[in-house]
Amino acid sequence: MTTISTSAGMTIDDDGRALKAKFARAERARQIKAAGLVAPLLAFVLITFVVPIGLMMYRSVDDPVAVRAIPRTLELLNHWSPDSAPPEAVFKVLGEELLSARESGDLGKLATRLNYDVPGTRSTLMRTARAMRRGPAEGRSHRDLFETIDPKWRGGEILAGLKSLNSPYTRSYYLAAADLTTNLYGDIVAKPPHQRIYVSLFVKTLWVSLLVTALCILLAYPVAYQMATLPAATANLLMILVLLPFWTSLLVRTTAWIVLLQSNGVLNDLLVATGILGDEGRIQMIYNMFGTVVAMTHILLPFMVLPLYSVMKTIPPNYLRAAESMGAPPARAWLDIYLPLTLPGAGAGSILVFILCIGYYITPELVGGRTGQLISSAIAYHMQSSLNWGLAAALGTLLLVGVLALYWLYNRIAGVDSLRMGG
Amino acid sequence: MAKPPPCFGLPGRIRNIIHKAVCASVYLFLVAPILVIIPLSFNAEPYFTFTPGMLTFDPEAFSTRWYRDIWDNEQWLRAIRNSFFIGISAAVIATTLGTVAALGLSQASMPYRTAIMAVLLSPMIVPVIITAAGLYFFYSGIGLSQTFPGLILAHATLGAPFVVITVTATLSGFDRSLTRASASMGATPAYTFFHIIAPLIAPGVISGGLFAFIISFDEVVAVLFLSGTEQRTIPRQMWSGIRESISPTILAVATLLILVSVMLLLTLEVLRRRNERMRGIGI
Amino acid sequence: MTGPAVRFERVQKSYDGETLVVKDLNLSIPHGEFLTLLGPSGSGKSTCLMMLAGFESATGGKIYLNEESINRVPPHKRNIGMVFQNYALFPHKTVAENLAYPLKVRKLGKTDIEAKVARALDRVQLKRFGNRRPAMLSGGQQQRVAVARALIFDPEIVLMDEPLGALDKQLREQMQYEIKDIHENLGVTVVYVTHDQTEALTMSNRIAVFNDGVIQQLAPPLDLYEKPENAFVAGFIGENNQLRGLVKSARGGECVVQLHDGSLVTARCVNVAGAGSATTLSLRPERVEINPPDGKHPNRFEGRVEQLLYLGDHMRIRVSLCGHDDFIVKVPNASMHPGLNAGNSMTFGWAPENCRALEG
Repeated sequence: MTTISTSAGMTIDDDGRALKAKFARAERARQIKAAGLVAPLLAFVLITFVVPIGLMMYRSVDDPVAVRAIPRTLELLNHWSPDSAPPEAVFKVLGEELLSARESGDLGKLATRLNYDVPGTRSTLMRTARAMRRGPAEGRSHRDLFETIDPKWRGGEILAGLKSLNSPYTRSYYLAAADLTTNLYGDIVAKPPHQRIYVSLFVKTLWVSLLVTALCILLAYPVAYQMATLPAATANLLMILVLLPFWTSLLVRTTAWIVLLQSNGVLNDLLVATGILGDEGRIQMIYNMFGTVVAMTHILLPFMVLPLYSVMKTIPPNYLRAAESMGAPPARAWLDIYLPLTLPGAGAGSILVFILCIGYYITPELVGGRTGQLISSAIAYHMQSSLNWGLAAALGTLLLVGVLALYWLYNRIAGVDSLRMGG
Repeated sequence: MAKPPPCFGLPGRIRNIIHKAVCASVYLFLVAPILVIIPLSFNAEPYFTFTPGMLTFDPEAFSTRWYRDIWDNEQWLRAIRNSFFIGISAAVIATTLGTVAALGLSQASMPYRTAIMAVLLSPMIVPVIITAAGLYFFYSGIGLSQTFPGLILAHATLGAPFVVITVTATLSGFDRSLTRASASMGATPAYTFFHIIAPLIAPGVISGGLFAFIISFDEVVAVLFLSGTEQRTIPRQMWSGIRESISPTILAVATLLILVSVMLLLTLEVLRRRNERMRGIGI
Repeated sequence: MTGPAVRFERVQKSYDGETLVVKDLNLSIPHGEFLTLLGPSGSGKSTCLMMLAGFESATGGKIYLNEESINRVPPHKRNIGMVFQNYALFPHKTVAENLAYPLKVRKLGKTDIEAKVARALDRVQLKRFGNRRPAMLSGGQQQRVAVARALIFDPEIVLMDEPLGALDKQLREQMQYEIKDIHENLGVTVVYVTHDQTEALTMSNRIAVFNDGVIQQLAPPLDLYEKPENAFVAGFIGENNQLRGLVKSARGGECVVQLHDGSLVTARCVNVAGAGSATTLSLRPERVEINPPDGKHPNRFEGRVEQLLYLGDHMRIRVSLCGHDDFIVKVPNASMHPGLNAGNSMTFGWAPENCRALEG
């Protein structure tokens, strides 16, 4: 690079490439140093967070059991149309494969899996496999034997159900999450009305989140405004009132609402004692949607107050004075000048509250009763009670996609750096 | 000072009063439910509401029996031990990794800063139920479910974003000319780190650690999915208490937890002031 | 000591690998000099200082300290004192601890440190403030601590990066004298960066005027003001009238320049190529005489007074002259002229040696 040159006006073009290379080398060294510091946490988050969630998403389409347990049956079923009678060979092969699946331990999984798509068939498969142990049929067709073991084999539903398991990947969990299913011919159709749960649950979750967000804006705005306009010492004092619930354990706050709102709770007692209600007229304020909305608003309100407050604090009062000096009446000045300037704070707070709300589990589960539960409760139910992990994963993935989309939006509006919780 | 918001068409005095009244009721909404718990935890009767005796301040109506209950109950004691053990362990991991990462993230030369920040902070945004579900599947495959290490790692993941945020915020206010000044006077980078950088960002690191601790201390979803009876924490125990509606012991526990949060809040405020005072240099 | 204290040799700096903020800088600073790097923001002066301190690495070229290359020497091994723009006092240490810091780093004995700190505090008249935190001091006091701290380990060179920028005018002037005093008493080499020309003119032995990554002129303050070598320096240091025109003829260090309105001006040739080349005439407003006696100056022009500004010790007069309507004339208040009113026409004149014909 240090070519001997006497001209004083050596410019970048003379040896621009060398300069660039040199610069790039120095820059790379600095980058590696910075990245080296971030690497441990990044690796940690990848292992304990990104990979597990990736595996969960994989589970929502993963469907290996039928391909593993009854490959030859699936091969035969591939050529079968539900309109026609199934060939005898299908039953023969299926019988053999069910028997070997029973021995390898896959039978239970297969039966459970089939049961998700064709309810009430778990026992059919189990019973059939058990019967197969007694040896092959003598003089009777395999089909006869199957139908004797369980009449459910007569319709084509079970075989059609098995046929739809012919790929190691499935869409059926997502179909179930959207209240859809497939008919005998593999077409996507809506589930019977009484089995439709999740679409309305998703819609309800969105509505509750919107309602809670709106309530939070409504309550947070005047409070943030008051704190932003008061002298710092007073504002700090009031801030404690906002931060105290923020720092109080979630379970404590949820307990508090149960204590306040239950039918023998403080609020009902107060209403009865003051004669507003009769003793038998106590209002059901908890274990329903009302309880969920009230408790969620209480829990998420600080997340709205804080960003609003920090935005409002940066708006100089001179803007309003300027608008008024130019002849705008106070109300007009406030609407035209102040309100638009607070929108970024309101936007950031709203998205944050909304994101936190749609995924909330604890509070709706504890105070929501039958009507106030949200989508997260369904995920937990399939995780822990029904053990339909594929469906739980599909519901979780749908929720996750929604949250990530909003997170992206939040990033665009507020910047990820602005996430600051109290402190 | 700006004017109070106009309620249109009303004279200033009246809208001022309305604004104050609205604010007061919001503060009441925020704080009252929490404060109500405290007297109820001294209820002599096993009810979740005020007895006539309590309202007339009859000393007989008050008792500390629910607090003694905690003390006598091996389950609660174990939950308390677990909560502190898991919380402190998770906070130590999160604070160490988070602080080091924040040091890297606050350097101008950090490549893909925004994207990496978004990934590092995502455990804070993704609903815990999803994280817990993912870990539930993941742990069952590698034998970490229903173990302390599994729970500690999960809580460290949830707490790390808070450390990253707090420490990067502290570092963004850190005057780089201080490290330069130190170097110009002959201090090696290591000497500068321990004598200048570390003491100045310590309040931020401690706040971050407290955040991480309280996140773990308060967390229940991951505990519900990942813990066995051995690893039950205070919130997990409260969860059972609320579900099975057993005794006002949970009100006594709740009161103690309120005390803990008040103490944490005060600690953070002290740290924040300390931090601000240190930055109040030269201007 | 022989040779310069500092030498820049063909130094280049780029922050992005595309554009050079410092282009091929050559500069020698002798021992004991007070050198100021002066220039507008973004001119490369601070970058030069940072490269000398070691906080930025030179992209090309070499920097020598006592004739030894320091390109690969990390900042903490350069033994260069530095006063920062915002002082960079450690907020968590007391004033005394701040002063002791470089000595502690050098592992001096405790008594030694105490003695030196006490002497330093005494020198900057802050004896009573040793136990205070920097935040409890006024701006001027902090400034003194910063200077004392940069000097306490007896560095040969002290760098100052706009150290007075945060102070108000009066304090700034006072600190200028104090720093000047310290420089003269201790004999250290000082490299001082500022964008304030008055500060540069009062304090320096020499000034390097920076623009666009290049030193435009390196000269003592007097020469810089009286003999600017190009239009940038003439414009940057002090006020001046710039008249553009073409050289008609040049002979014996003087030239005749035709301005755009046709008027002919006799000027001193500084660096013009010769007859036919374009030039900018630089003329200080205070060198213009009102109603000069006939024959005193070859340059005599009629002009119309447009505006009068009263500035206490002098008057500033805007005149339409030779096709320029922003020609400025400064006259001391004592030499008031009768008939000096806006709208009047008057005669203005100046000597050729005060009117410098510059390249461009």
